[in-house]
Amino acid sequence: MNIEITDLTRRFGRTKAVAGVDLEAGPGVFGLLGPNGAGKTTLLRVMATVLPPTSGRLRLLDRDPGAYGPRREIRRRLGYLPQNLGYYPGFTVCEFVEYFALLKDMPAARVPAAVAAAVERVDLGVKAKAKLRTLSGGMLRRVGIAQAIVNEPELLLLDEPTAGLDPEQRVQFRALLRDLGQRATVVVSTHLVEDVGAACTEVALMDQGKVVFHGTPGELTARGTDGGTGDAPLERGYTAVLAQARLAQAQS
Amino acid sequence: MTAPPAPAVPRPPHHAVRAKVVPGRLLRLELRRNTMLWMLPVAILLFWYNGYREIMAVPPMWNLRAMTLQNRLLLDFAIPVVGAAAWMASREGRRGVADLLGITARPRWARQLTGWAATTCWALLGYLCCVAVVYVLTARQASWGGPLWWPAVVGAVAVPLLSAVGFAAGTLFPSRFTVPLVTVAAFFGLAFGTQAASGDHSYWQISPLTSGAVDIGADPGVATFYHYLPDLSIAQVMFAAGLTAAVLGLLGLPAGSGGRWLRRSAAVITVAGLAAAGTAVALAGTGRLDPHGMIVIPALHDAANDQPIRYTPVCSHTAIPVCVNPAYTAYLPAVTAVLRPVLTELAGLPGAPRQVTQAAQAYAQGPGNSINLIFHGLAARDGSVVFSLPDPLPGDQGQTSAGFDSRLKTTGLQIVAGVIGSQSRAAGSPAVAGPAQQAVISALTRLTAPQLAFRNGSAEQLGPYGRLLPAPGSPAAAAATRFAALPAAAQHAWLVQHLPALRAGRISLAQLP
Repeated sequence: MNIEITDLTRRFGRTKAVAGVDLEAGPGVFGLLGPNGAGKTTLLRVMATVLPPTSGRLRLLDRDPGAYGPRREIRRRLGYLPQNLGYYPGFTVCEFVEYFALLKDMPAARVPAAVAAAVERVDLGVKAKAKLRTLSGGMLRRVGIAQAIVNEPELLLLDEPTAGLDPEQRVQFRALLRDLGQRATVVVSTHLVEDVGAACTEVALMDQGKVVFHGTPGELTARGTDGGTGDAPLERGYTAVLAQARLAQAQS
Repeated sequence: MTAPPAPAVPRPPHHAVRAKVVPGRLLRLELRRNTMLWMLPVAILLFWYNGYREIMAVPPMWNLRAMTLQNRLLLDFAIPVVGAAAWMASREGRRGVADLLGITARPRWARQLTGWAATTCWALLGYLCCVAVVYVLTARQASWGGPLWWPAVVGAVAVPLLSAVGFAAGTLFPSRFTVPLVTVAAFFGLAFGTQAASGDHSYWQISPLTSGAVDIGADPGVATFYHYLPDLSIAQVMFAAGLTAAVLGLLGLPAGSGGRWLRRSAAVITVAGLAAAGTAVALAGTGRLDPHGMIVIPALHDAANDQPIRYTPVCSHTAIPVCVNPAYTAYLPAVTAVLRPVLTELAGLPGAPRQVTQAAQAYAQGPGNSINLIFHGLAARDGSVVFSLPDPLPGDQGQTSAGFDSRLKTTGLQIVAGVIGSQSRAAGSPAVAGPAQQAVISALTRLTAPQLAFRNGSAEQLGPYGRLLPAPGSPAAAAATRFAALPAAAQHAWLVQHLPALRAGRISLAQLP
């Protein structure tokens, strides 16, 4: 398993953003669904080793990220796209991706080819020499994806990756996800259930810091037959599971 | 976005990923997108407007130019360098890239050092270009000597310190207000460092802006006749390098900067840097002013540097030759023009000097920052007269050609008084002159007491030389006018015949022709 999470908690002061999550994931595309404030981004940041867990056990790529050496090894094999991508406006697309490739400790000889490949994979080849300040929001999102995949990560964590992408790009991006998921564990945090339906092999639904559903997209869709609202079957499953979870919460 | 197939980037086994990253690639990237590159024109413009014009206005002597350069250039570079470094360091926070960078495998400290190094490279390049321009122009203008490297080295070592201070401030306080605050603080901190020094034992001499003794600084007489003493410069280099290491090491101490080994190294570097800087400050406090106007630090001093510099003097073709240090060649015509009439009168007289030779001034530290000139003027030595050129030289701040000539006339007065007066010339003390002697001295130098008083500011400040000239309206003044009206040949002939009696005080005013 590339991700092993046991009873993981993350607090910010009195707020428990992640409350006792158990999760395991191997190669494939893993969708992380949930409403705003469910704890998806916090969980992703913990998995990305940005934040240490408050309690619980976390193992990534069969290593303990709590220790410096293993954490560095994990980071070499990690790709991460945060929800809000920061960038240096004066860098070109290639420079920005190269910068991260070098910081990810990629062997220098491999960097130019890897950068070119990553930029091509997100369809920014023609903008390779463009300064980031000249790019649209969707293009910047793709630059963020390029820096995340430049090191061919074994664990790829994407927070709202399709935000700002047009429908055509989203379709292409889903294909890219499926391709990446053949060799790596890709965790995609999103509000967009159609992304999950199209690309994910597994899905977890979070609410109030807890995982309230873990299964395949088909299983989530099936939960929608009992009730739930939405235009698409998966949406109905999503709302039905959330409603059940909230009812159970209220009763307890 | 293209999905399949993944490009053919060979994926090596992960142990191969450990292969060394060439830090040069990262540095090259940082160099290309570094703010200091854009601040270079600002720094150079500041230097041109402020330091360069001041440096090039001083006489073309290596010591003056180099020591002024150390003081001015660093101050001009302080704001752009500190500002650019702080801006570069705070960009992660300002641009919201901290999360992304925080999870990269490369240690944060290594990443920060690369950013600092890129900023410093550009700053140093600008600094060295400015030094090169000043030194090349000085090489073309100076009549003697060679570049003084220590002042340039001190500045070159202080530039990374400025950069490190800015970088540390930007890293620790990544706010948009950091840049203006830290630049102002650095500028005033530097400037205050030079103002706070008090005397030759002051610890504040460690400021990289200080070139030599605090109240002498860049002076024509310093490091011309004797070697430029590197003692203080060595301490300043130690201080700047040590503090740079300490500041950079400090950035590697927080958790998350790197692994245990890296953080331990950072701690060792910080402690070593602080020790070096502290030692340098302590050494600066042991400094003392040597007679040649430089700071001697006993623990760093090389006695070989106390030997005078050998040189072949440049001499005038006057009746009594005037010889100056070749560094002053440009001033020989002015000196000769003032002294020639006097020397022509004195040539051939008994007791007249064979040669008038320039000698170094000698200094002593007074209370606080005051400096006493223990040799400044004229003395007799082996049948010659040694004198010091008026300081400052024309072109220096507050000095004009007229002022320079005026002070040279005092030198001429002293030379004449040395021959005509009845003092002990060997002691170099001012002459004591009777009325007849005063009349002859006044006639030969074409000087009167009011003229001298004017130059010195007031009658009270006439000092010892005032006694060499007759009071206005006195019988001696009338005799001086009478003697001055004689043809030069007649004056000379009378002096040849009567000089011993005149010096002995046996000639009365009435006996003067």
